[in-house]
Amino acid sequence: MNPLLKVRDLRTTFTIGDSVARAVDGASFDLFPGETLGLVGESGCGKTVMALSILRLIEDPGEIVAGSVIEYEGANLLELSPRELRRIRGGEIAMIFQEPTTSLNPVLTVGAQIAETLRAHEEISREEARHRSVGLLDLVGIPDPDERASQYPHQLSGGMQQRVMIAMALSCEPKILIADEPTTALDVTIQAQILELLAALQRQLGMAMIFITHDLGVVAGIADRIAVMYGGQIIEEATTKSLFRRAAHPYTEALLQAAPRIDAKADRLSVIPGAVPPATAWPAGCRFHPRCPHAWEHCSGAVPDLLPLPPEHRARCWLVVEPHRRRA
Amino acid sequence: MSSLLVEIEHLVREFRTDGGLFGKRLTVRAVDGVSLAIGRGETLGLVGESGSGKTTLGRVILRLLEPTTGTVRFDGEDVFGLDRKALRALRRRMQIVFQDSSGSLNPRMTVGNAVREPLVVHGLARGSEADGRVAALFREVGLDPGYVTAYPHELSGGQRQRVGIARALSVEPEFIVLDEPVSALDVSVQAQVLNLLADLKERRGLTYLFIAHDLAVVRHLADRVAVMYLGKLVESAAAEALYAAPLHPYTTSLLSAAPAPDPAVARQRVVLLGDAPSPHAPPPGCVFHPRCPHPLKSDICRDELPVLHKGEGGRWVACHYAHEPLPVPGHGSTSVPAPGD
Repeated sequence: MNPLLKVRDLRTTFTIGDSVARAVDGASFDLFPGETLGLVGESGCGKTVMALSILRLIEDPGEIVAGSVIEYEGANLLELSPRELRRIRGGEIAMIFQEPTTSLNPVLTVGAQIAETLRAHEEISREEARHRSVGLLDLVGIPDPDERASQYPHQLSGGMQQRVMIAMALSCEPKILIADEPTTALDVTIQAQILELLAALQRQLGMAMIFITHDLGVVAGIADRIAVMYGGQIIEEATTKSLFRRAAHPYTEALLQAAPRIDAKADRLSVIPGAVPPATAWPAGCRFHPRCPHAWEHCSGAVPDLLPLPPEHRARCWLVVEPHRRRA
Repeated sequence: MSSLLVEIEHLVREFRTDGGLFGKRLTVRAVDGVSLAIGRGETLGLVGESGSGKTTLGRVILRLLEPTTGTVRFDGEDVFGLDRKALRALRRRMQIVFQDSSGSLNPRMTVGNAVREPLVVHGLARGSEADGRVAALFREVGLDPGYVTAYPHELSGGQRQRVGIARALSVEPEFIVLDEPVSALDVSVQAQVLNLLADLKERRGLTYLFIAHDLAVVRHLADRVAVMYLGKLVESAAAEALYAAPLHPYTTSLLSAAPAPDPAVARQRVVLLGDAPSPHAPPPGCVFHPRCPHPLKSDICRDELPVLHKGEGGRWVACHYAHEPLPVPGHGSTSVPAPGD
């Protein structure tokens, strides 16, 4: 199967004075039709900048470095004219964010906002747009959609607002939905509802999804494949099952062990020593080596590629080729 | 010396909204008749979602907010009956750590001074003695004392939270309210802070009220867990018992909604319908009944408020069908893969 989206050597930098933050630093991945790719990492790993880069939403002082490739339907999105890009953005690739309140216009009814999106991409009458927005509210499980369409964002709960955002994102039947921490601001019972909704809609509409989160628990339930980010790079990529069964990168392992589990009590949580270095000063060699319990001299010298672990797993770690170096 | 350090009885706290330009004034019962006790040296986990009243309850206990009715006793003393001077003496013994340390630390004060301030205010140490204590507190919470001259924005979120903890510890309290202390932190840092809190408790014999929306986080620290919904306590039990077999359907739903980092169990959930109702107009009967997934749910749930009653093993639950609890899906079949498996 051909990938729907091909990202190759994506680099996005932010330059402030003399310092250059390499927020995304050579990320490559494929997204296949109909699949959900989980993009996981902690603050500052580059996951959100990567999503914004795909839609070319990076503003000054940020810059996508020449040579990066984001290929969708045979075209490099980074080379499209603003007009061509507008057709892709929202039409072919849509995005939802963590905070629906900041993305919704507070002085327009939610129905009008969805209708506006529809009319921006298609030539349809007001009446038709209004009719379709009610249909979309119904699709995302909002009760009494007709009535809700004439309400303002503040009259809706956080969960309902996120449903409206999803309705708006789906209005032009995108082939790809990028969801950036869409449930992080929600209560856990509401989060469960939104996750079920996204999974159901994805199956129903056959779209591909990039689901960005810091929460390994969330991604375990929704993703087909997972890419773990650290220091602006993808450091491990695998099917969800394979990642949770045999995490190969010491960072992924450490993250899994550090997460408190609801289904088992540990007397002590394992911790990752130290902190994530700033994007202006990534360490030489493997970016994780100063915090890695297995690191040896080689790790501070050269960064490995994503090394294959057949059948469906890759990790950016020298342990893949020298497993005997792993410390007990 | 009583074995109970904090005793909360029938606590009610209401807020009045001004109702806006044309709106009606509304009264919200953020905390609605809560009774709880915390034993000396115990960690009580207080869990609930937004609007459950857990944060308000924590603040009323410390008398950072006045109650509408009800009592709180701390080591036998009536917290709301104290005059200013006595309250100040009591404040030394009970402290709070907030979720957002960047909001609770003064941005213009060095973090060293933030930890030093309570020492001076309470007349515990001055001058070089205070400096020495601040350095010792920094070391105790795992911060390099070299950071005393730093400002909050120069520190990471995890380091700021350590400062918040050092500040609370400075007056040598017996009881600390931890209000979502790790919610704003990344997973790897969260684990560090949770371990630190466990160590401090052990070393100093502290008593904690650990407030969180995350049942997984609470599990690692709490001896006992209390669950709130819309201002009411719906269940409390020893932590192990509660996680193994919750009795209230809301607790069951919360447990099953918490995402587990294991694809084998992650797809089984009890998904609640709808949103939590507005606290302005709580539903009649059991406040949880409109969203309750319990198959036995009946008219009694809509008509009659279930009282909190005592079950076996010191458990408390407020549900008409607590004798036939809803099972947690996927529970008991969880496999934790061994590393390298």
